[in-house]
Amino acid sequence: MTLRSLFASALVLSLAVARADETTPPAPTAQAPEPSTTSISREVKDVFEKSGKAVVKIRGTDEHGDLSGTGFFIDPAGTLYTAFSVGGDTENLTVEFEGKVYPARVMMADLRSGIAILKADIATPALPIGKSETMEVATPVMTIGYPFDLPSTPSFGMVAGFDRKFLGRYFCTTHVRVNLPTQRGEAGAPLLNFKGEVIGILVAQIENGSACYALPIDAAEKIRDDFIRFGEARHGWIGINVAQAEKPIEGSTAEMTEIMKDTPAYGSGIKPGDILLQVGKTKVRQPEDVIDASFFITAGDTVPIMVMRGNDKLTFEVKADCHPLSPCAPRAATLTPGQGIPLQIDATRRTP
Amino acid sequence: MDPLNEEQIGKLLRLKKFEQPPSAYFDNFLHEFHRRQRDELLKQPVWRIALQRAQDFMFRLNLPGLASYPALATALVICAAVISLKVYQAPETTNVAAQNRAPVVATTTLPDSHWSLSNPLTTRDLGPSLVRTVKDSSKTHRAATPPRYVLDSTPVSYEPAFRF
Repeated sequence: MTLRSLFASALVLSLAVARADETTPPAPTAQAPEPSTTSISREVKDVFEKSGKAVVKIRGTDEHGDLSGTGFFIDPAGTLYTAFSVGGDTENLTVEFEGKVYPARVMMADLRSGIAILKADIATPALPIGKSETMEVATPVMTIGYPFDLPSTPSFGMVAGFDRKFLGRYFCTTHVRVNLPTQRGEAGAPLLNFKGEVIGILVAQIENGSACYALPIDAAEKIRDDFIRFGEARHGWIGINVAQAEKPIEGSTAEMTEIMKDTPAYGSGIKPGDILLQVGKTKVRQPEDVIDASFFITAGDTVPIMVMRGNDKLTFEVKADCHPLSPCAPRAATLTPGQGIPLQIDATRRTP
Repeated sequence: MDPLNEEQIGKLLRLKKFEQPPSAYFDNFLHEFHRRQRDELLKQPVWRIALQRAQDFMFRLNLPGLASYPALATALVICAAVISLKVYQAPETTNVAAQNRAPVVATTTLPDSHWSLSNPLTTRDLGPSLVRTVKDSSKTHRAATPPRYVLDSTPVSYEPAFRF
């Protein structure tokens, strides 16, 4: 083969390849995966746009002066949750909704759980209530609040842990620790999942607002149920001290050490030395578990308490009394379920 | 001591005619002259030194050459303008004292559209729509001071451990 024929062949081949490139339709390229940060940003934006209208700025006056916080509507009739520090001992309450200011009143405030329920007489959007138990460590969450005098602001973070105590002091129930930046003015803001459901209420911040604590919405709903039933929060009380047992029995190390006098547990048959297995529907595996078990007891309700005594598994029915940290109003003891609303507690008419 | 007569003075001068300073005297003459000149200068009061320097400066500036009629006229106009502004903007103290503790004092009530140098902003009546009295502010929590923005650093309550 001569050099000339080789050159001609190469020329023809290159032309054919070039032509083929021109005529072949481009292969459908697979859609590039969206960067995860963009996806998260879009989800946060969606929830912010969908839920932001139900989150309002709350202003009022307490003994220290004017204050400003955040709250969110939970029904179309203008009922809203906020933190106790915003609506607990506050007067002249107003909510700023759709650019207007409306008066609001305190329906119930519970110091132990750290929340308050307010009411504004307006038709409002409402946030759906989720389930706290769906949360786990690293679950992405967000909040919408009103920091300082700024407009509605979203913030994104993740669940960092579920704590029963902080710096050696115990909460009333397990709180959700969230690595989510917060600023002052956002107390009472909703903790939201990416479905836009409320799964907690912001009650406190940690270390310059780099993280915060939220009361799980299940705990808040327990308080709201009490209010619907009795017109007030009714924290229950059995009257038992629990300590760490030497060894686990039936998977529990919660040993009852004292049955206090003049409490529902006294005379119920429960004895010191019994191993606590279950309170109501809450299983107990260690002494700390009684914190949650205690919180979900309602005064006046009969609570089944399962214990291990020797080789016997026993269940005692105990009617809970009012918690000493949150005593019930004396006249409320005569109420039956369903009489709570529209009860207005009048301090001047209380039995001394 | 008797004063010298003319003949004695003539003898003395003839003797002095042949006196001469030592040769080293002329080597240091210029330096000594300057030193004595500075000493004389420092003996004067400060104000006189400053005056002399000012006179030297004016002399170098050649002011008579600059003092033409247009420059003089311009200077006079500027002075007149500054003085007139000062006079018009002086607050009428008697009227201010007569006001009844209003948050914004007013000398004369003028329509909002009327603005002039004779009524500076600080003494104009801003009208009832823009002025809030202290009494009004106390009725609402929308006061000028910012509210306390709430988010506590600790939860509101704590529990006695392991008791239910």
